[in-house]
Amino acid sequence: MNSSNFDQILRQVFFVPLLAVLLGAAALAWQMNQAYRTVAHIEAADETITRTETLEALVINQETGLRGYQTTSDPQFLAPYNDAARQFPIQLDQLRAADSTPRYKAAVNDLQASHDAWEEGFAEPLIASIQAGAQTSDVDLNLLGKRQMDGIRQRIAALAVTARRQRDEYIRRWRGQVRLMLFALVGFAVAIGLVIGLYTRRQLQEVSGAFRQSHNILRIRAEQAFRSEQKLRTTLQSIGDGVVTCDAESRIETMNDVAQQLTGWTAAEARNRPLKEVFQVIGRTTRQPAEDPVSQVQRLNRVVNFADPTILLRKDGTEIFIDDSGSPIRDKQGKLIGVVLVFRDITMAIKSQEALLANEKLAVAGRLAATISHEIHNPLDSVSNLLFLMDGQSSPEETAQFLVLARQEIARVTQISRAMLSLYREAKSPVAIDLKEMLDSILLLMDRRFAALGVTIVSELPEGLVVHGFPAELRQVFTNLLTNAAEASGAKFSVSSSPDAPTTGSFTVQPEAVVRLTAKPCPAGIDAAGLRREAGVIVSIQDRGHGIPDEILGELFKPFFTTKGERGTGLGLWVSRGIMTKHGGAIDLVSSTDPVHHGTAVSVFLAENPTINTAGD
Amino acid sequence: MPPQQHTILCVDDEPVGLHVRRMLLERAGYRVFTALDGPSGLEVFARESITAVVLDFSMPGMTGGEVACSMRAVKPDVPILMLSAYTSLPPEVYNFVDLSMTKGEGAPALLKKLGSLLNGDASH
Repeated sequence: MNSSNFDQILRQVFFVPLLAVLLGAAALAWQMNQAYRTVAHIEAADETITRTETLEALVINQETGLRGYQTTSDPQFLAPYNDAARQFPIQLDQLRAADSTPRYKAAVNDLQASHDAWEEGFAEPLIASIQAGAQTSDVDLNLLGKRQMDGIRQRIAALAVTARRQRDEYIRRWRGQVRLMLFALVGFAVAIGLVIGLYTRRQLQEVSGAFRQSHNILRIRAEQAFRSEQKLRTTLQSIGDGVVTCDAESRIETMNDVAQQLTGWTAAEARNRPLKEVFQVIGRTTRQPAEDPVSQVQRLNRVVNFADPTILLRKDGTEIFIDDSGSPIRDKQGKLIGVVLVFRDITMAIKSQEALLANEKLAVAGRLAATISHEIHNPLDSVSNLLFLMDGQSSPEETAQFLVLARQEIARVTQISRAMLSLYREAKSPVAIDLKEMLDSILLLMDRRFAALGVTIVSELPEGLVVHGFPAELRQVFTNLLTNAAEASGAKFSVSSSPDAPTTGSFTVQPEAVVRLTAKPCPAGIDAAGLRREAGVIVSIQDRGHGIPDEILGELFKPFFTTKGERGTGLGLWVSRGIMTKHGGAIDLVSSTDPVHHGTAVSVFLAENPTINTAGD
Repeated sequence: MPPQQHTILCVDDEPVGLHVRRMLLERAGYRVFTALDGPSGLEVFARESITAVVLDFSMPGMTGGEVACSMRAVKPDVPILMLSAYTSLPPEVYNFVDLSMTKGEGAPALLKKLGSLLNGDASH
């Protein structure tokens, strides 16, 4: 039930009884009016009766006056007669006016006629005779007068009787009306009472039902809201991220358990404090106070995510790496009413990443271990055999030849050992690197590996290409890329667990198993993506392997992605790109799985004088 | 048995090492054949009357293990000494060779092991 229904019911409850009472009052008024009219009829009948009595009195006065004059002949006795004779027609006219029915009029006219007949036929001649002094004691004459007078009296009496009968009739009718009115009044009162009562009851039941219903709905809503809040609260407490909510003035409202653990503040201590006081963050490399996400959210009025990790200074002064984001809370009008800050401890993740980087460095060396061991043991074997020969009976010529061979072999060991160590020994700051020298020494280290894979390296490395950077890291990059190229274009790996230590089967050496390694200077200019590029060198490594399917091209530079199964760590390209980013360089990969022109080309751009970017490290 | 009667086949992809090993064995009185890879070694092995084989494990194309396997299939009685730059070889390889040694152990060790093979001490 909505409010307009409710208003309608209120109006009905007011107007329906009012209308009923008005109708009752109108009926009652009509009844009373009828009764008044009856009473008027009664009064008219009363008046008629009074007039008949007056007329009777007047005829008595006339007769009495006439008798006195007849007896005494004294004109004084005629005074009552004359008065009555004068008033009689007046009274008669009034009587006639009381009723208009023809019968009544006829009766009145008859009375007038008989009265006129008596006056003109008996009384006036008698008075004239007396005035003339004649004798009027004749019995017949007097009897005639008496008969006429009796007639008059009878007629008056008849009128009176009729009037009384009418009066009685009206009184009876009036009583009936009054009784009817009484019954009607009682009946009406009962009916109206019932109608109003029942109607009001029905409407009130409806209202009360609606009220109960809305009360129930409110109760259920309140319960739902409570449950929902409990759920959200528990969820907030249970999630692994720290969550802090602030009002629009950056004052802390709530903190979940994780947020309390990470900041070292309890929710009670932190409540209503400015966020900056509790959540102090500094840049990872700059160590300068960083803008907290809430201020940024307020400034930008949108969700803010921080890609770079920051350091959170805990209450006890210890530091943890965190990853944070802030989201605005808005009211219905879109006005900012608060901010939610979500952050997580990524100290472990960062430490793991560092460990992974170190691990990958070792893995690169590990992959070369077989080569290195072979490259050292072979010359050693030759040298030890030569020494044994020199110990025995050898001619001076032979000895001289043995020495030449032994020196040659020792020089080979030294070269290998240097090349290996340069993979680890890192400069403190960028140094000038002769690319030809570096790439040649890598090829030397990997020579055995290429041979085992049946891969031929064709290199075009001009002299004098110098770039600045960290040599060990760049060696790591090129060792990775060359290993990938050699493995892609060389032997098939379906049957072997390691190229240097096959278990069964044989390698299928592809005749076109050639990896091309080229380096060429690249003047400053605009690259393919339309970005400005400074002067540097592009080193390109091309193989004629099967190529990389498009669907995994995007995955190549992600950590732990490998196509080499257990032989790969899945970190090589990821680390290589990190190193290239640090060197302000770029690494691009183009591949084709076309049946004829299959193969992969990786090009590495190195700037001559790069701005070393350590932020990503 | 005089050493002259023994013909040794040496297979190694390292020319210098092979050359030195040949001089060493010849000095010790053996007749020596050399080959720079598996296939040519097998060819010599089939053609000549070889009494023992000194085989390098790590070779491009065809490894010492594969070469030994093929040799056993042709002449199962010829003893094979496997040389390796690694301290450990794949376990299956030991099924096809009589003895193994790591490069760099020195000439006396090589001559001793070869001698023991030829005297039938380490025959399987």
